[in-house]
Amino acid sequence: MTESDTTMGTGATKGSPIQGVTLYSFTRAFHGREYDLEQLIRKVAADGYGPGLEIIGFSSFRGFPTIDEEYAGWFRDLVDEVGLVPTSLAINADIGIHRDRLLNQDELIEYMRRQIEAAAKLGFPIARVQISITPDSMEALAPVAERYGVTLALEVHADQYASHPRILALRDRYEKVGSPYLGFTADWGATTVGFAPSLVEAYRRRGASEELLAKVVALWDEFYRAGPPADQAEHGQRFGRFIALGAENGRPDLGVDFGINGTGLFGPARVDDWLQIMPWIKHVHGKFFGIDENGEEPSVPVRDLIRLLVDNGYNGAISSEYEGWHWNHWQSPFEIIAGEQAVQRSAAQDAGSAMVTRAADARTQLAAWLPRTEGANA
Amino acid sequence: MIPDRIIEQGTLTTDGARSSVEVRIPWYRAIPGSCISEVSLAVDGVPAPAQSLRWGMNGKTFRIDELADKIDEWWFPLDSAVVSGDIPIRADAREHRVDVELKLYIPYIIIGDDEVLRIEEHDTKTMSARSTGEAAA
Repeated sequence: MTESDTTMGTGATKGSPIQGVTLYSFTRAFHGREYDLEQLIRKVAADGYGPGLEIIGFSSFRGFPTIDEEYAGWFRDLVDEVGLVPTSLAINADIGIHRDRLLNQDELIEYMRRQIEAAAKLGFPIARVQISITPDSMEALAPVAERYGVTLALEVHADQYASHPRILALRDRYEKVGSPYLGFTADWGATTVGFAPSLVEAYRRRGASEELLAKVVALWDEFYRAGPPADQAEHGQRFGRFIALGAENGRPDLGVDFGINGTGLFGPARVDDWLQIMPWIKHVHGKFFGIDENGEEPSVPVRDLIRLLVDNGYNGAISSEYEGWHWNHWQSPFEIIAGEQAVQRSAAQDAGSAMVTRAADARTQLAAWLPRTEGANA
Repeated sequence: MIPDRIIEQGTLTTDGARSSVEVRIPWYRAIPGSCISEVSLAVDGVPAPAQSLRWGMNGKTFRIDELADKIDEWWFPLDSAVVSGDIPIRADAREHRVDVELKLYIPYIIIGDDEVLRIEEHDTKTMSARSTGEAAA
């Protein structure tokens, strides 16, 4: 490959995203006690789903966010030994943890601080935070992130999308604050192109008629043509139409499920919507739902998304995030994830680049990509 | 999310007056006791009186209303909690239908002003009952 091959019309150097996975993809296997945390990490390494490793703190670490030194050392040694690279620790803003009130601002900042500290101790350079964190809170957390050397990457997830007013407000605040420790996690579920066929199959197995299934898909297609909902009110209206569809067709028990999945998992924004926040995308959730008989993801445009990231110089990690486990109890998640990562690698090559699959390369690249990759003051 | 796993097969025990069953969290991450909103247990269609229900977790036993302020007592995804209540059954080979309903707050999903998402999950399984002494042995 010559130097000129790695550039495109815009003059941007092509990116080479780091392959990886979030253990969330294996939720049923972990929850079902098929693999404990160590066994799952070893399997991720042995089967080649890395080198990037993302973990949800409250899912995988007992007693989280309290992490003692001995446990942190055990975890870091294990990850090193098997040749994985910690990318993102997914943390949560449990604003509703009290029964009678929401956390106030000071309590929330301290609640997040403890989890950011845990990320640093465990060796994660990124903490994934969620939409309930406001621009004011992100601004307040910037010095905390800097203190611990952990980049905060707020997840853009359906029913939001990059150009959603709430996300643009965050972007504008990031620009004002000017901290390299504030960014976004782009979740591919915001930019899908269809209602997942594996979920249609799951509803079929629950006795939904072909007529109803066709109506569900058609309603989603209608929303796709219209584009993403302008605001939360329109989102609510769409949710209501899915509920009505169940009720009108003799399956009121499925209506809420149609709504949750139809609006919250399969976002209808276009792939190039990500350009609105591209410079702030520090991490990616390669959300997907299944692999079809042709080896492709039928409802997530994985190839277009990889091309977009490559063409825009994205050098961070992509955590393959398989979400079909909610309804697909008839196929192994492990094979499906391997299939999706093969699509990612093929797409990166087609885009004139390659996914990073060696741990040493991933460490070097992540160090250049983020302000810090080692926790400070942990 | 994972409602099919709530009731653990083969864990129904009884001392003749009280019955208990082990339950798993139907969510992917830990939640504290304060997020366990409502619990119901029924065996063969007979519900345990609400006042008699107890929730066993992390080696401790709580009344359901005592859980409301337990923000530091976490239900981890791999752990079984024990739901018990006053339901008289006999420990024999007969199959019993067990019903458990859980209403759980998901503390990071805020769906409106001061409103936190509350999920309602239900599971039904059929199993025989062991006597409490036998189960403890």
